Amino acid sequence: MAHDDVDIAEGVDHQVAMVMDLNKCIGCQTCTVACKTLWTEREGTEYMYWNNVETRPGKGYPRDWEEKGGGWESEKHINRSVGEIPSQQDYGENWEFDHEGILKEGEDKALEPENTDPEWGPNWDEDQGAGEHPNNYYFYFPRICNHCTHPSCVEACPRKAIYKREEDGVVLVDQERCRGYRYCVEGCPYKKVYYNAVTKRSEKCVFCYPRIEGEGPDDEVHPPACADQCTTQLRLVGYLDDQDGPIYKLVEQYEVALPLHPEYQTSPNVYYIPPVAPPQHSEDGETVDVERIPRSYLEELFGEQVNDALDTIERERAKVERGGHSELMEILQDKNPAQQYRLEVFADD
Amino acid sequence: MSEIVRGRRPLLVAGLLAGLLVASAALAPLIADARPAREIPVEDVEESLADPGAEGWSDVPAATVPLASAPSGVPNADDTTVREVEVEAAQTDQRLFVRLRWADPSDDRSASSPRAFADMAALQFPVNATTQPAIAMGSANNLVNVWQWSATNNTQELLAGGPGTTTVFQQPEVSTQAARSTVGEGDGWSVVFTRDLDTSVDNRTQLAADADVSVAVGIWNGENSERAGQKAVSEWYYFPFGPDDGGAPFQTILWAVAGVAIALVIAVTAISVRRTREEGES
Repeated sequence: MAHDDVDIAEGVDHQVAMVMDLNKCIGCQTCTVACKTLWTEREGTEYMYWNNVETRPGKGYPRDWEEKGGGWESEKHINRSVGEIPSQQDYGENWEFDHEGILKEGEDKALEPENTDPEWGPNWDEDQGAGEHPNNYYFYFPRICNHCTHPSCVEACPRKAIYKREEDGVVLVDQERCRGYRYCVEGCPYKKVYYNAVTKRSEKCVFCYPRIEGEGPDDEVHPPACADQCTTQLRLVGYLDDQDGPIYKLVEQYEVALPLHPEYQTSPNVYYIPPVAPPQHSEDGETVDVERIPRSYLEELFGEQVNDALDTIERERAKVERGGHSELMEILQDKNPAQQYRLEVFADD
Repeated sequence: MSEIVRGRRPLLVAGLLAGLLVASAALAPLIADARPAREIPVEDVEESLADPGAEGWSDVPAATVPLASAPSGVPNADDTTVREVEVEAAQTDQRLFVRLRWADPSDDRSASSPRAFADMAALQFPVNATTQPAIAMGSANNLVNVWQWSATNNTQELLAGGPGTTTVFQQPEVSTQAARSTVGEGDGWSVVFTRDLDTSVDNRTQLAADADVSVAVGIWNGENSERAGQKAVSEWYYFPFGPDDGGAPFQTILWAVAGVAIALVIAVTAISVRRTREEGES
């Protein structure tokens, strides 16, 4: 098999993966809207954002999701940390706005949620970040389901209604088997499984599987909508075990694309190029040799490996600055869709 | 003096035994009312008792069934709150009615937000009425038929062959009616399940049977986030649909003891009378 030296789940032929370069995210939420338009405009899904972009540092979506447990207790994947279900307030309500009255009938009032006075919602703390002027900092953080190699949501379901697809490792909820117990919702440490209170079943990101299968009207293979619609094209989509592809190189070879919260032990298959912010400024506005985003914060997100990753990126960037050649820098700047989206490499298997 | 004493002893024994006889006669009706521990009597009725508030339920005897947390691998499986349920059953020629009543102060009818779980109750029957499958949802080769009511106003008829295998019947034959009710000293639920006794559908328990039919009960308290295997359940009980076999074992034993006591009384009395006569003649 092509994945002899890549750790993918037992019984899975190939593992889809995504790399997101956080240095390119401008927080425009086009990915969020692309996903929402395609998947979560149905009744009961209004509050869901299978793809969301949160400001970091920040509480995220759902609020404080990192404090709600889930995942595995150790890399042996024997005991799960049970976790809790976020409240509706943590996600944010499905607010109603009087667009009709204000825009068409000219009512003189603010466009704000009707009949409610919310205190939290998705993206509520946008752009707040942390730090003091002039050294405040934040970055945008797009999140989807990680389609983990060791998905604790799958293990949590007593009905095996949530499963990891054999052909590509996409994690799906079988809507016929699901009975809305929500063990997957509490079991996912990333809180990327959502309960639909209308259908009484749980739902999640499907990695746009009909698009990657070429099951759309044009019979063409497309990357997931969040990646396709991204204004800065910050996402690479392919297979982790495609050793000729950029994802393999970024994750396995250069080790600069990192899973979020590796300590949850679920082995995510969405990877991030950590953000490199401009250095801090002195009160006089002079650049000083201090990183703006504290390493300690990035270590909280990506583990200690982030240090090596950032060092590698810095080293390779310096190489290019000196006029040298860097395969890594070329990959990170690749504008060739054939490399960015390698979804047909195993089509003949 | 000694002759007098000798002559009175049989009379004393006879008197004691006579007392025992009287006591047995007095207790006999009470003994006759005692039921085997796992029996839920089924009362014959003329009218439908589908309404949990129907007057006819007042004539139906109730069995108090203790509940305990089901053995299950789901988180918090030991954390259940309902300790007992009153089970009453009645049948017309056509239908079985089973009323469950249990204390639950919180009225949880909604599963309409991520953390909301509704109260639920279920009856479990062996698909093959003459068997007794594994109590926890049966097993792959011995299926169970489950009638599940949810306070979301949803009733499902299910088939299961072990934990995690529940499958919904697309055309349920079970219907339910539920109402909040006073149970004991507080609020609770009163839920009636009803279904035709006769069925010709595969994997559906035949209740028009000539044999006792096992039944188990499960209750979920939505307020405590109980769902799936986190539930309070009973052991197997049974509806006595079988032929009258002269009474259940417990009752038979009691009557046998009473019978022996009566026979002893008669025998000892007869002997005593005879001896007294003999002594009188000598």
